[in-house]
Amino acid sequence: MNDYVASLIQTTCITMIGVISIFPLTGMTGLFSFGQAAYMAVGAYVSGIAAVKFGLPFWLCLVLGVCVSGVMAVIIGLPTLKLRKDYFALMSLCLGEAVTAVLNKFGAITGGAAGLSNIPKRATMLMIVLSTIAVIAMVGLFKSSRFGRMSLAIKTDELAAKSFGINVFAHKMKVYIFTSMIAGFAGVLYAFYLTYLDPNLFGWTRSSEWVIFLFFGGVNSLTGSVISTIFLTTLPEVLRFASSARIVMYTVMILLVINFMPSGLLGEKEFSIPKIIKFFKNHFHKKSRIGGEG
Amino acid sequence: MALLKVENIAKTFGGVCAVNGFSMEIDRGEVVGIIGPNGAGKTTIFNLISKVYKTDCGKLWLDGTDISAYSQEQAARSGIGRTFQNIRLFTGLSVLDNVKVSCDYKPRYTLLEAILSLPRTIKGKKKTECEAVECLKAVGLERFADERPGNLPYGMQRRLEIARALALKPKVLMLDEPAAGLNPEECVELVSFLKEVIKRFDLALIIIEHRMDVVMNLCDRIYVQDFGKNIGVGTPLEIQNNPKVLAAYLGEGDD
Repeated sequence: MNDYVASLIQTTCITMIGVISIFPLTGMTGLFSFGQAAYMAVGAYVSGIAAVKFGLPFWLCLVLGVCVSGVMAVIIGLPTLKLRKDYFALMSLCLGEAVTAVLNKFGAITGGAAGLSNIPKRATMLMIVLSTIAVIAMVGLFKSSRFGRMSLAIKTDELAAKSFGINVFAHKMKVYIFTSMIAGFAGVLYAFYLTYLDPNLFGWTRSSEWVIFLFFGGVNSLTGSVISTIFLTTLPEVLRFASSARIVMYTVMILLVINFMPSGLLGEKEFSIPKIIKFFKNHFHKKSRIGGEG
Repeated sequence: MALLKVENIAKTFGGVCAVNGFSMEIDRGEVVGIIGPNGAGKTTIFNLISKVYKTDCGKLWLDGTDISAYSQEQAARSGIGRTFQNIRLFTGLSVLDNVKVSCDYKPRYTLLEAILSLPRTIKGKKKTECEAVECLKAVGLERFADERPGNLPYGMQRRLEIARALALKPKVLMLDEPAAGLNPEECVELVSFLKEVIKRFDLALIIIEHRMDVVMNLCDRIYVQDFGKNIGVGTPLEIQNNPKVLAAYLGEGDD
């Protein structure tokens, strides 16, 4: 495998963790987050600084990065998750901008616009791929648990959800912390893969890219998020021959899907082995029945 | 003391007095009906008891505990189950999952246990599944477990709402116009179904209903509301012969 393909796989995996980090929040609970990359930035910078300035071992940096992201989610979530959904979306956009501004201003610690370099390269290909699979599995289990169900209930009808004993605020808080920690984890991997950080890597373009990927694949489909991330990150590479026209082709592609398939490529469908077996069984059943009658 | 005791609750919206001092008592196994013309404040009473709205004054007692200051989810957890006048099912969930939602507030497993699928999660999921299937069977919808609620006919959606409320294991079940949109035969069916539910789940039932055949056949006691005020309480027979009620409500309607 050459370096180009390897780097493509690794960046795709990290982006995928990012997209999956907003899936429980935006896709399932219906809270739009246009600033989720802020948590990626926090995870990346906290772990990066811990490694560069304090020389801490990788595993400790990882724990620190993920935990600080979680703590920040608590601080941000407490006042904002009681707001209506649209105000929360606005707040998340501001959060993303605020974090990049802070990273730019406090150059003494973060390296400012010049960036933070010399982070040791610790994230290997195997580690990144395995963590992506682990994150997908965890979010998949989240979806099939009572927490996933409560999220979907809150998304459809908050008042009805409350009438069935669900503490909406507490639930939103849990989901927000959970998703922010995943984004923080993506940030840690990113820092130790890239070995160099720069505030502009975590601007709103990245956050909105994640939302686009999520909606392209299907709002309520984890499988959709995975497929759309693979497809949309490799598409610009495949279209490289078309030079600047590739951006147009890429955009048209997304617009077509969002316009003609408003619920995304897969909608609510999920990949599951029992369902596939059932589908084939029914299929053969029908065929044999038709054959019998004929 | 009665299972649910409502003491002089009131609610105003701006200058409109939606409920003006409503009192009620109900015991296990009893059925109470609330009737009255449109805009009489019947649904507001439900919303006050289930704590969707905060009461301006008055007290609520459930099984001896004061629930006046409870939040909506606390009221639900303490045993007040309800349905809505305009059906509010979770359209994004399957029929079975709609019922399961009622069991989901119970901390059978934590988020950490869920994402790692630890033993308590697997056990908890099984328990929830059992309870939900049982409630679906009680209303006869187990065949449609994997269907989306939007695909069910109207009457079945109403039944699903009842199943979802039953899964909360309520002490008091409140149904807001359960017979709306049903034909006469379905109404007869509904009455016998509800009688069975009361026996089987050992609960108190409060219904709001416009269909007099349902109310008169089902209720032990009827409260008549008009413009936020109570204008009569009594057995179906007493209500039918109450001149005040006849003047305000039954006498005026064309149906």
